Amino acid sequence: MPARVRKRSPLKLPERPYIALGLEGSANKLGAGIIRHDPDGATTVMSNVRHTYITPPGEGFLPRDTAQHHRDWALTVINDALNKAEISLHDLDCICYTKGPGMGAPLVSVALVARTLSLLYNKPLVGVNHCVGHIEMGRQITGAQNPVVLYVSGGNTQVIAYSQQCYRIFGETLDIAVGNCLDRFARVINLSNDPSPGYNIEQEAKKGKRLLPLPYATKGMDVSLSGILTSTEAYTTDKRFRSNGPSDDDGEDVITPQDLCFSLQETVFAMLVEITERAMAHIGSKEVLIVGGVGCNERLQEMMGVMAKERGGQVFATDERFCIDNGIMIAQAGLLSFRMGFQTPLSKSTCTQRFRTDEVHVAWRA
Amino acid sequence: METFHYAHLPDNLAHVHLALFHDVSNAAQIRQRIVRASQLEGPDGDKEREAVNFAFVDARLITSLLHLQTAVYQAILAAVRGALRTKTVHSEIIWALSPNNNITEAIRRFGVSDTTQSLLVARVGPSGGTSIEGHMKAVVTGNVLPLADLPKLTDWAIVKKYYKLNADPALKAPGLSQDQQQLIANDIIVSTVAMKSVAS
Amino acid sequence: MDSPTSRLLATATLISQGAEAKVYKAYLHPINENGSSVQPHSTERGEPILLKHRFHKQYRHPALDTTLTKARVAGEARAIIKCIRYGVNVPGVRMVDAPAGVLGLEWIDGKSVRFLLGGGAEGVEEVVGESEENEDEEFIEEDPLREYGISQDDIMRMIGSEIAKIHKADIVHGDLTTSNMIARHPTSPKGLQLVLIDFGLAYTSTLAEDKAVDLYVLERAFASTHPASEPLFASVLNAYAENMGKDWLAVSKKLTDVRLRGRKRSMVG
Repeated sequence: MPARVRKRSPLKLPERPYIALGLEGSANKLGAGIIRHDPDGATTVMSNVRHTYITPPGEGFLPRDTAQHHRDWALTVINDALNKAEISLHDLDCICYTKGPGMGAPLVSVALVARTLSLLYNKPLVGVNHCVGHIEMGRQITGAQNPVVLYVSGGNTQVIAYSQQCYRIFGETLDIAVGNCLDRFARVINLSNDPSPGYNIEQEAKKGKRLLPLPYATKGMDVSLSGILTSTEAYTTDKRFRSNGPSDDDGEDVITPQDLCFSLQETVFAMLVEITERAMAHIGSKEVLIVGGVGCNERLQEMMGVMAKERGGQVFATDERFCIDNGIMIAQAGLLSFRMGFQTPLSKSTCTQRFRTDEVHVAWRA
Repeated sequence: METFHYAHLPDNLAHVHLALFHDVSNAAQIRQRIVRASQLEGPDGDKEREAVNFAFVDARLITSLLHLQTAVYQAILAAVRGALRTKTVHSEIIWALSPNNNITEAIRRFGVSDTTQSLLVARVGPSGGTSIEGHMKAVVTGNVLPLADLPKLTDWAIVKKYYKLNADPALKAPGLSQDQQQLIANDIIVSTVAMKSVAS
Repeated sequence: MDSPTSRLLATATLISQGAEAKVYKAYLHPINENGSSVQPHSTERGEPILLKHRFHKQYRHPALDTTLTKARVAGEARAIIKCIRYGVNVPGVRMVDAPAGVLGLEWIDGKSVRFLLGGGAEGVEEVVGESEENEDEEFIEEDPLREYGISQDDIMRMIGSEIAKIHKADIVHGDLTTSNMIARHPTSPKGLQLVLIDFGLAYTSTLAEDKAVDLYVLERAFASTHPASEPLFASVLNAYAENMGKDWLAVSKKLTDVRLRGRKRSMVG
């Protein structure tokens, strides 16, 4: 990579502290977070509260019920965030909300709360792209400068790199998201959704011993995951499958749910690490940042770390407070664009289920 | 006879001795000796097997030295890995030359037959000096030609048939001279032999 | 590991390293010891070949890594042999050691199209955006194309016609860039040819959509490495269209769509 003079950031230090409230509800997590940017450049997480809509084992969350959950919990979660931050709504500079992408009904229910607060307290609104929220929070927490970003969650699977005020998507899933793939398999084998199906898959995978062949579907920098889900599911109807583990008279040749979780993780994560590496090689970056709910998975972090080390670089990841959908990331990304003079007028404070990461003008970066 | 030394191969398989015989008059006898050697038991059998411990390849089916070398090399790789599909590295060479997996057909087509007139004899082993050439000549009655003459003996009609080249668009391009066509055919054949272990 | 192939690699010269594989120049078949019938064009060490080594990935489960590496070596070899049979100019296969992850290919004596168009050396590009437009463009001493006796437009037409050939064979290259095309030197035995290389991402498809994306990827590569490349790429497409015949219409329609939306589709959160 040729040496390059680092361009000066267009983001000026604030002349006074700025405080933003972020509201997130694009999927089954309702989050409210409050962030402060100080004149010395410091960023403080004043509070970060979340409530998750947990469905019984074997069931996913439906838009209508999820929206109802968000409406039921909005006041509690926001009040909790304000109390923890020890501020009132009057102290805010702006209210940031998730514009998309995500599930329609939950998005709209949270946007409605944001609009109402904006009108009641006369605070400007800032609509935020959910993916950009993840990236900005990840950068803030880890201090990664210009990483290749692997964004992995229930709804998204993307390999992203920054270029010319845009988060360009280098690779992505061609069908379902990785979190969706894992969650759906968790439902097939009846794992609990508490705290999250992905977490429980990870725990089960640790007990798996046997790597079963699954299709490995990378296509350039893209991946395809639906075939793998189908194949993993198919093993549960295999006559060697023992849903409760092997019994005494079973031989060696049995397949357990743990083996399937293990095989699924090993295969899918290898694909993700591979496309991330390809993007790193392509742009000559040595840093990788993992964001999104699946980014909490320690096996994924470990594999990514091995890859990054082989390339002489390193991996940055955050824990569940920031990986899993939260309000603070919306506050962070929203406040960055607010400081660049961006606001969302009430008449345009809509939501959109489809909102690509590369559609956002990243005004605050050089 | 010409010898090729592969420095990166294990010593016992590092030398490839090749000789091209023309006007071979005892093809039927060679074939019978090979068959008998495989059936004889005891020390006599060992001795006879050693006497015909070569790959006897019908030279009409070889389009270039590279063609043969590619088959020999892939056979050696299989031998080193312990992944031979046939009994010996020499029979493996014959098998490697054939575009399909049928061993009997490979030997019938690419090995010595009663009517063979030109033979490529190959021996893979340790450095053996000139004695190997003597052993070859003890088995094969014919004139030794330089390997460079190999292309002169190629029977393109039968090569194209065995390697199924007649349907290939590459050879149907308009305006190809015969030389160009043969160059392309050789390319296809060498690649086919090289990738046989992973052919679909 | 002391297999023949690893020992061969140890004697080889590293040419380049990608995310997935290392590429070497090596000598496979020695010339004969007796020296009686030295082949034409052979140097003292015989003909060079190119070795593509898909090395072990530590992060991947070993069993998965082994299967995958084998499958990819096989896949690339199969794509190449299909190309050869369809008359596409590609490097021939010379050696396959799938368990070792090594593919040996014909050595192509020539220069990449990227170099011939003044796109700079490999590996230096790839800085996403932000790269100052080639300032050193003015003082290119000599046009490397002169040595090859062809014009830029000739090369473009050769590219279009080669891509049409792979697409007619229902092979999608998957990574068409000007670095993955080599002009064989006019003095080499096979004469001047445009050779397509690196079939590591190739796959079989009959879909016009996939072929259109193949072209689009190349169009983007042209735009990012060769300034003012629009007329060049138009020439590639013209030659492609002529060679595709009636199949061009479908690909052309898809290409228009792909250009509008970019390579990626719209997506739900």
